Amino acid sequence: MAGMRQMIEVERLTKNYGNVTAVNRVSFSVAEGELFGLLGPNGSGKTTMIRMLTGQIPPTSGSARVMGLDPASDPIGVRRLVGIIPEQETPPSFLTAEEYLHFVASIRNLDAVDERCDRWFDLLEFGDKRDVLCKDLSRGTRQKLMVAQAFLHEPRLALIDEPLINLDPIMQRTVKDFLKSYVQGGGTVFISTHILEIAEEICDRIGIIHNGRLLHAGPVEDLVATGRHLESFFLDLVRGDGGA
Amino acid sequence: MHSTIFGSLGFALFPVVIGVFAFLGSLVLPIFADVVPYDMVALFAHALFLLMGVMVGSFGLMGREFMNRRFGQASLIAYASRSLPVSERRIFAAFLAKDTVYYILLYVLPFAAGFTAATPFIGLEPGLAVLAFVSLALAFLLGLSAVCFLSTLYARSVTLLAGTAAVLAVAGLAALRLGAITASAVLPPYAFFLDPAPEPLALTLLLILLPAAASVLFVTVEYPDRTKRFRNRLDPLAGRLHGFGSSHFIAKDALDLLRSEGGAGKVIFSFLLPLGLVWVCLQVLIRFIPGIDPLVVFAVLLGVLSATIYNWLTEFDSFSSYTFLPVEVSEVIDAKLKSYALANLLPIGVLVLAATTSGEAGAFLPALAAFASVSAYTLAVTVYLTGLHPNVMLYSAGVFLRYLLAISPALLLLIFVSIVDPAYAALSLLLILPAAFLLARGRTRWQAWEMPGY
Repeated sequence: MAGMRQMIEVERLTKNYGNVTAVNRVSFSVAEGELFGLLGPNGSGKTTMIRMLTGQIPPTSGSARVMGLDPASDPIGVRRLVGIIPEQETPPSFLTAEEYLHFVASIRNLDAVDERCDRWFDLLEFGDKRDVLCKDLSRGTRQKLMVAQAFLHEPRLALIDEPLINLDPIMQRTVKDFLKSYVQGGGTVFISTHILEIAEEICDRIGIIHNGRLLHAGPVEDLVATGRHLESFFLDLVRGDGGA
Repeated sequence: MHSTIFGSLGFALFPVVIGVFAFLGSLVLPIFADVVPYDMVALFAHALFLLMGVMVGSFGLMGREFMNRRFGQASLIAYASRSLPVSERRIFAAFLAKDTVYYILLYVLPFAAGFTAATPFIGLEPGLAVLAFVSLALAFLLGLSAVCFLSTLYARSVTLLAGTAAVLAVAGLAALRLGAITASAVLPPYAFFLDPAPEPLALTLLLILLPAAASVLFVTVEYPDRTKRFRNRLDPLAGRLHGFGSSHFIAKDALDLLRSEGGAGKVIFSFLLPLGLVWVCLQVLIRFIPGIDPLVVFAVLLGVLSATIYNWLTEFDSFSSYTFLPVEVSEVIDAKLKSYALANLLPIGVLVLAATTSGEAGAFLPALAAFASVSAYTLAVTVYLTGLHPNVMLYSAGVFLRYLLAISPALLLLIFVSIVDPAYAALSLLLILPAAFLLARGRTRWQAWEMPGY
């Protein structure tokens, strides 16, 4: 999207674990105001990509810039700016949901913490669980809490690994609607998922990754214009690349 | 599990390290025989293994959360009775048997083997080592059995546990008043070692088997686990700690400790109880080594044991919880150090109590200096070697060996100079310099470990 600020710029990014190449010379960009979906089967490199973009692991080669910062050299700076929902992390066991959000708020030096927390408890409908220890929350409620902590500081960019995991259909609808409104309000979202329906429904652009290589990147509307379903397009690409 | 974490060789070397230290320690026994008689050494060894049994059993009391958070599969085994045709009693009995064999092979056997290897050089009969293996194993099992019994009581009823502890405390105080407390009376396995007769053996086996049988018969994995609700205590607590910096991290550590299974019970079982044993042993030791200042020696050992507070502080935390937040590894370590410093008020309180009740108030200042220095040094060694993972890393033979080599010479030197003059314990302040160095290096080292490539 020419002329728009690029929130994420990835150039030939590669990550090797010994003899295994998890991400192989991937290049793409995400413009401000986009909802970009990185799709791929299990083990294709999606989580590795997010972890490099958020500075959790350094790349083997290539470069990336997130909101103008290099996550390899300034991981803390990147994480200060963006909101991150990891795929499998859980909040600390012995804090309540409310305490955990206050804890995150203290790390991020936020003000008006109570108002921020109340907003998320209301939006994601788990205010009745605010005083329950995180270890006693259901998986779905913990996921809501992780969503809340990612957006508590109202970041301009959010990176989300499997955004709807463990959420019931009603809450999936709520989160999808929130992400769309967030993007319409000027925010940018990067999600990685293996669930094609999510991408088809809410993403502006998608990338398809398999065996660490980016096979396709482009607007969803282009696919729609050709009359192809995302599923058949995805399967053709992946199988053509020697996938399952 | 341990061989998976450390590699087969790393874990297999752990008992070798134990054996080597036992061998070397045994070789120097004749040198100090005039100062520390053999029966005193035997008493210490039996008390040490009793303590180990207590700590292994304590892990069973509070380790469920640790195991669930780290490994998941531990709880799958413990709760297998819910979905498989196997009873809780059978599972628990199997765990008890497993712990018995596992820790005897891991600790007692290598210790006895090291001692056996040294007997030809120190003029002792090898058969004595065989006797020592049996009596030390019994001491370990005594501690393990007692704590497993207490943990079963805890699972059934906290009131019952408190009542039992109160009865035992009253009985102990009464025995103390009547002068019935002797080393042999407190430690039947030690009595068996001194006099390998059927009576002390039978008493020891009774004291092991009865509580163990009761803990198996009445075991339950259905801990009183109601969903508890708490108002926000993080912010008020952080507000009171505001002057320390990292206030929310320190508050979180405090809440982790208080709200986790066992709560203050962790303090009782894994800290105060061993300290009580140490104090009792020291009171016996001063009859044989008149020059020893029990308060100073107690302070030195208190400093080492207090470093286990760091293990508590890191037990329920993992840096992976912070990797998506703008938090450096060094910030988390610094917060743990501040939490540790505050938590050291407990051992300081213990030291004050020991000084006032023992009539040793004159030696309090050098004892306090010794405690603070040893505590800081032991903590620094722990942080340097294990970062935020002491509960796991110390089971690596290489790490454990380096830990012992770093701690032991300093401790032994301090204890011996304090025998010359208790005031010399103030020399322990020299440990602050290496402690500061190790902490600074540790912060950098573990930043690289938690964030490889950065």
